[in-house]
Amino acid sequence: MTKSFISICIFFSIFSSAELLLEITQGSDNPINLGIYEISNQEKEHSLIKNIIQNDLIRTGEIKFIEGIDIVPLPENEEEFNYSGWKILGLDYVVIPSIKNPDKNSIEYRYRVFDVSRKREVRSSTVFGLSSNLRQVSHYASDGIYEAITGIEGVASTKLLYVNEISLKNEKSYRLMVSDVDGYNERTLLNSPEPIISPAWSPKGDKVAYVSFETGIANVYIQDLATGDRESILEQNTQISSPAWSPDGKYLSLTLYQDGNAEIYLLRLRDKTLTRLTNHYSIDTEAIWSPRGNKILFTSGRSGSPQLYEISLRGLRSKPKRITFEGTYNAKGLYLPDANGNIFVHRAKSGSFHIALKYKRENFIRILTEARLDESPSVAPNGNMVVYAISDDNKAKLAILSLNGARFVLPSSQGVVREPAWSGFVR
Amino acid sequence: MVVTLNKQIILKIILLTIVIGASSCSSVRVTNESVVEEGVRGVTISKKAPETQAILANATVYFEYDSSRLTSKSIQTLKGLISVLENNRNLDIVLEGHADERGTREYNLALGQRRAESVAAYLLSNGVSRSQLKTISYGEERPAALGSNNASWAKNRRVEIK
Repeated sequence: MTKSFISICIFFSIFSSAELLLEITQGSDNPINLGIYEISNQEKEHSLIKNIIQNDLIRTGEIKFIEGIDIVPLPENEEEFNYSGWKILGLDYVVIPSIKNPDKNSIEYRYRVFDVSRKREVRSSTVFGLSSNLRQVSHYASDGIYEAITGIEGVASTKLLYVNEISLKNEKSYRLMVSDVDGYNERTLLNSPEPIISPAWSPKGDKVAYVSFETGIANVYIQDLATGDRESILEQNTQISSPAWSPDGKYLSLTLYQDGNAEIYLLRLRDKTLTRLTNHYSIDTEAIWSPRGNKILFTSGRSGSPQLYEISLRGLRSKPKRITFEGTYNAKGLYLPDANGNIFVHRAKSGSFHIALKYKRENFIRILTEARLDESPSVAPNGNMVVYAISDDNKAKLAILSLNGARFVLPSSQGVVREPAWSGFVR
Repeated sequence: MVVTLNKQIILKIILLTIVIGASSCSSVRVTNESVVEEGVRGVTISKKAPETQAILANATVYFEYDSSRLTSKSIQTLKGLISVLENNRNLDIVLEGHADERGTREYNLALGQRRAESVAAYLLSNGVSRSQLKTISYGEERPAALGSNNASWAKNRRVEIK
């Protein structure tokens, strides 16, 4: 079972090849077996939805699909589901879907989830959506099914933000892109001849902040996704970078260079007041907020090499506390959503850069990746997956790993893709 | 390592399932939700015409890995620049710091800035006026040489004087 689950490639050949493709390189050793019934009179429409749901769930690394479950007929009487038939097929969970089209443009997708060993229905949900947007409807259903099975909210309906660099002849262009987590539904937010770095989501997912070099100097902009309205958040003649939103959306942490050196400030968005957070002659940057918003994690060179430090926002004179000690380069840290650990970029003794995880309760770090120049980790809002960039010889692409061992690569068909940022929950 | 994590997650799943199982003994969770699909509007920035720059012998100084210290070779380059700046007090220059691709982009942006400031500090201590200098950084965003190897990285850890 283990072997058959490794190295599965899924080709979405019927879809636009300009979008990202997905390749599974590794799966869980002990997946949950799931089957989804066909819908006899709506096979065509449902096969599209079923396909998307299956891919979403396979991507979690925790679920494996059992085909041909329609061999166990559905009963006329609601009370007589054939649990023993499902058990013989090795199923742990079964999904029975149905589709209604109240009018030409809308769809109601109902799915019922059954727990085979407990012999009971655990969820009955209906997703209302537009027929033109079956992918979103499917992602919502995937997340509900995943939650019914694992108790953990799914992330198939969330979004990725990333930077795409394209070189045409000697001209470079930089695009800020947003897509679904499976790489589909890719849209351009900003198209610029100058570099774009450090994209970040607002907590509600309606805005993004990023660093653009469009004026010749790094500056931070906030852009509204729906309207395209954008503003530079501060007008200064020195550079500004590394934006991160506070969980309540009221503040933006930033790195300012007004005394020539990188220092972290908090900007209150309502009235643009700045509060200085760090004051040290070494580099202080890459601030990120703890899930509850009471602490800031940042990278500092104050020990002589880049290391992660945490500073409490309670109390006026709280001192930064160093939290990484292994190796001579630990940077771009972030919090797991339950704040039980941190993910960051770590340089190994070999000189390679990997994504690493350190749980609070442990005094050692876990190396999660093995390419030569892995960077820019961003964690899914349920804490189960991390997206990061594999960057080597200018061929950067995005990869997603689940903390239970699954790994996927999302290659780009054009240029390099990097600096991914995972959105919060959108459902 | 991955195996250990795997066990933890599976255990978590089992525990959560038990909790859910116990708390909702005979009830099915019933939900209804509507798909919200936000529209997205993109923005395009067009390329600006290159500005005409004051003609000055463009110079570049190079740095060691993760360092903003000037090497003796860099100091030689800067000495030549000092006399040019002292003789042309209305000449303004930009010190543009860069880093190689290793490490994180924001840290490299800060490192490029430190390199530019390091050059600025040397020029200031040798009589150049602050008003003639502007420091900026491109971090690792504008490599002089492509390729992930020592030779390219050495060319990219630099301050360009423009």
